[in-house]
Amino acid sequence: MEEQKPQVLIIDDERGLRLVTKRLLESEGYGCDVAENGTNGISIARSKEFDLAIIDLKMPDLDGIEVLKEIRRISPGTICFIVTAYASYETAIESTKLGAYSYIPKPFAPEELLLQLRKGYEKRLLMLEAEKLKKEREERLLEITYEKTRLKTILNSLTEGTIVVNRTGELVLYNSSALKYLDLHEIFIGDVILDILPSEISAMIKKFIDSHEYNSKSYSTQIELRPGKELIVEATCSPVPHPDGSLAGVVTVIRNITESKKVEDIKSQFVSMVAHELKTPVAAVLGFIQIILDEKVFVTAEQEKDFLTRSYNRLQGLVAMVNDLLDISRMELKKTQKEIRELDIQSILQSTIEFLEFELKKKNITVSLKIETTELNLKADQNDITRLFTNLLSNAIKYNNDDGAINISISKHGSYLLTKVSDTGIGMKPEEKIKLFREFSRIKNEKTRGISGTGLGLSIVKRIVDSYAGKINVDSEYNTGTTFSVFLPAG
Amino acid sequence: MSVHEKIKKIMLVDDDIDLLEQHKILLESKGYKIVTAENVEDGWALFKKEKPDACVLDLIMEEHDSGFILCHRIKRDSYGKTIPVFILTSATYITGFKFGSSTNEEKEWIKCDALLNKPIVFEDLLQKIEAFFDVE
Repeated sequence: MEEQKPQVLIIDDERGLRLVTKRLLESEGYGCDVAENGTNGISIARSKEFDLAIIDLKMPDLDGIEVLKEIRRISPGTICFIVTAYASYETAIESTKLGAYSYIPKPFAPEELLLQLRKGYEKRLLMLEAEKLKKEREERLLEITYEKTRLKTILNSLTEGTIVVNRTGELVLYNSSALKYLDLHEIFIGDVILDILPSEISAMIKKFIDSHEYNSKSYSTQIELRPGKELIVEATCSPVPHPDGSLAGVVTVIRNITESKKVEDIKSQFVSMVAHELKTPVAAVLGFIQIILDEKVFVTAEQEKDFLTRSYNRLQGLVAMVNDLLDISRMELKKTQKEIRELDIQSILQSTIEFLEFELKKKNITVSLKIETTELNLKADQNDITRLFTNLLSNAIKYNNDDGAINISISKHGSYLLTKVSDTGIGMKPEEKIKLFREFSRIKNEKTRGISGTGLGLSIVKRIVDSYAGKINVDSEYNTGTTFSVFLPAG
Repeated sequence: MSVHEKIKKIMLVDDDIDLLEQHKILLESKGYKIVTAENVEDGWALFKKEKPDACVLDLIMEEHDSGFILCHRIKRDSYGKTIPVFILTSATYITGFKFGSSTNEEKEWIKCDALLNKPIVFEDLLQKIEAFFDVE
């Protein structure tokens, strides 16, 4: 703040004195207001805050003491001086008691007045400074409390559990999620909690506490807090440094990874299954070749040819499977990269039927396509939908009887497009239906003996349907046929 | 084999007909008689009918534990408990569980006489089978 002129209020009924004093003070850099009697003086004091007030003791309307009292009441911060020609100890004492800073007897020399005013003003400045500091301190304290509350609120809104201990393992900070994960009812700041914490976490914390050097490295570990994989968390411990670099404490963050573990497990199970499925045809081919090469085992030329043919077929199956797996992997990637366009489902079905013409002719299968709606649009990736129906139709041919039929119908079902693919094939038993969409699952009975496949076709179909939030149902009767009903959100 | 020894009959059960045939050829070349089946039900019927001297079963057929189921059934049978049953599997890592029937605990649970990893080394299988027959 810029240095302001000290503001003085002069209350004196003597006109001459008023003017002289005013002139004097103004020349010394004070700002002055004057009043010729007590009443005016009080009303001026009410309208503006003064640093200093010079009050004459004897005035016609109000006693200087009364004016002093009133001004002290209105503005307790104003430094007041009583001036009077009728100086006496009693008045001096009384005015001081009533809050006057000083008592100046008239007549006074200018230097004396100035000196007094200066001292008074110094006091005034100190008082103002003290006020200001007090206010700042209060605001600071309020801020700190607010910050603490905010910190607590933020901590408690974290889903991750947070626990902070100091260098001696005492609890410094924690949040409600930590209590929840660790299944604790209550803990108190200051508690030595290393023994209550899971041993994996205490061990990590101890590593920091016992180490003599501060190292910013963190430790992480996965802990099964509830058996049966019901609750798995990842606990990460990091050191908290003092400004000078020494260890202040350790912060532990606990994160729930149960869901992502489940996904991880499913993925690694899939990988294992893939490995198994890839190994199988390879093992078969190796076996045949080994027998052919084994001099101790006798095989006829016919057998040899048979083995080679079967090896060839197994390898072709392997290639088909690898291609399907690549498709699945591409689809997983494409989850965020689909090229959504407006598609006409009828034209996709028709081109798929054309694509499979050779297989259809081979078994002499007739295809009928019934359109029961005019709204044939779909918003989807063309490759996805083409693949979907290629797989379904391919199955409808493979598992069909010679001279059989495939009936396809498209209709509107609420906000969905319903496509039914029906065949007159070998059908399935209820227990075979259950595993239908499972990866690598193929139905094995006398009727499916000669049918080749990777076991991934329907799993791919299901993935595609799911990715569009659609639905797929199967109806089947053993020896009669199977119908797939595919619901896709209409475009 | 000496003349008065009966020719041993071995039952093979596997849903992979190529492997089934390969193992049949190899074992027959060693002088064994082989009977085969391709699933648990047929395998059980075959066992009752043929009363083989040993069984070699694939683990994963219709279900992931088909081999265990059949093995269990055979071992519960009054005749079956006297013969060796071997299980073949390429499932070593499917559940991240390393199968083995070496510890008594595992033997108790798995109840087969040996667990072999596919693709099998034929000499291995042969050796294990003959070990059982020699002990008799």
